[in-house]
Amino acid sequence: MRIQRISAIFEKDLKDFMKNMMVALLPVTPVLMTLFFNQSGNGGLPVIMHYLIVGITFSVVTSGSIMTILAEENEKHTLRGLIQSPATLWDIIIGKSLVTGLVTVLSLAVSLFIVGIEPFLNFKIIMGIILLFLFFLLLGIGVGLFAKSVASTSAYLMIVMILFGFTPMITLLGIGEGSVIMNIIDMFPLMQVIEMHSAGTWAPLGVLTLWTAASGMFTFVCFQKVMTDD
Amino acid sequence: MAHFTVNQEDAFHDTLPLFSLTVEDSHAAAVHGDSDTQTAVQHVLCIHNGLSVFDHQEGFYTRLTVEDNVSFYHKWYGCRVPLPEILVQFDLQSCAGQTLQQCSVSDMRRIYFAKCYMSGGRAMVFREPVHGVDIKTMNTFLNMLHKLKEEAVPVLVLVSNMEHAILLGDAAYKLNPNGLQEVETQEETSSEPEHTGAPAAANLFKIPAKVGDKVILFDPPEIDYIESRDGKAVIVINEESYTMDSTLAEAEKKLEVYGFYRCHRSYIVNLQKVREIITWSKNAYSLRMDNKMQSTIPLSRTKLQDIQDKFSLR
Repeated sequence: MRIQRISAIFEKDLKDFMKNMMVALLPVTPVLMTLFFNQSGNGGLPVIMHYLIVGITFSVVTSGSIMTILAEENEKHTLRGLIQSPATLWDIIIGKSLVTGLVTVLSLAVSLFIVGIEPFLNFKIIMGIILLFLFFLLLGIGVGLFAKSVASTSAYLMIVMILFGFTPMITLLGIGEGSVIMNIIDMFPLMQVIEMHSAGTWAPLGVLTLWTAASGMFTFVCFQKVMTDD
Repeated sequence: MAHFTVNQEDAFHDTLPLFSLTVEDSHAAAVHGDSDTQTAVQHVLCIHNGLSVFDHQEGFYTRLTVEDNVSFYHKWYGCRVPLPEILVQFDLQSCAGQTLQQCSVSDMRRIYFAKCYMSGGRAMVFREPVHGVDIKTMNTFLNMLHKLKEEAVPVLVLVSNMEHAILLGDAAYKLNPNGLQEVETQEETSSEPEHTGAPAAANLFKIPAKVGDKVILFDPPEIDYIESRDGKAVIVINEESYTMDSTLAEAEKKLEVYGFYRCHRSYIVNLQKVREIITWSKNAYSLRMDNKMQSTIPLSRTKLQDIQDKFSLR
């Protein structure tokens, strides 16, 4: 029964995803940006740019689409009558996450093939990227649960994008290397993956796990709030 | 069996009297009440009885086709009836390929009925299910009620139109601040003593009705129909209604000669203004009036033959 409900949501949302121009164009964005970067970089792109592409993909495609499709259900009252218990809301979230995951993997794969996927084929890095994906997914679910309309998600998405997706760009603003802001920014999830790539230590994976756990807590709190509101 | 109760603790609704209504399995009860009363009843049923009320506030996936929508709900609720059968049952096969943006109000309502049916609750409450829909959709709803009866699901229908209440419910009730009263829909077993000879009021050409302190006189041909409300006969002309000083039985006697006919225990129609005899499935009948509202008046099963004779239909 549970699997059946999840697959019902998965099929429905996949169809809806294709027909909704607003989200259907999201996975195209990182691919286009990768093409631009690749053209301007004349072949060899620095590592930081590779991870910027990963950040853009996860923030725009993963967080963006799941928060939009969840908020749309909220806005149009389509979930009324479907949710009888917290368990059924989880089925909906899982079904939607599967759609988002599928789209993200496609978009990320195409982008990384353009710039060259070899630097990422490493167990540690793949682990890091999976954790990063979960972080952005959970963040998107949390926002999608409390956002009451699709329009408001674009504001939240902006924050997620600039803070977590474009973190490497912030370092280019020219803030002093040893300053407090830089130290904080260096702890951000995307920066941790970059550090893991360059230093090759395990410690960033731990920090990343903490970020993902925090994002999971945020989702859980939003979930509880939604269930008690009704 | 389902109990619908309004207890003392719900008394914060000023509009709602205390009542208890038991609907047995495979029965449909219709409750007539205005919009405020319905909202209050719905609130109580949701909070205290934990029932979901189908009030068509829910949205659908408008970008998807009718079939995609129905198949999603079909899978979600794990409905055992095959999908093609559901589409045919709710008369959706002709618009199955359309997206919901292209669908009419009546089409949307049938999709909604399909969703309600597939959700398979233990007791169902519908609010204004057939308000503003076409005849096809009305028939679909009656068929669904019949199916639900076969599955022994008790159904409660909240409507603000007495004609709908009588048509949809096995038992019809009227809910007002004084309490819940059953509307008698059974025929009188012993008909009133037949008056003999010419009707007494053959010399009467006007029908009086009161509005405030004024008395208005109506020509019988302009009256659409007369219904019984709280024991008083009420004249209905287009959207206006006027209370008469007499009972329905007295009005019937006076108006018989002008081509009026008692088609139901609570209704007298002007036969000149009947446009259509509608046959619903499962032996239910209505008369459609030729007025602005296109009102449908219930027609008793036993009176069908009589009215067919009057119109020389047999």
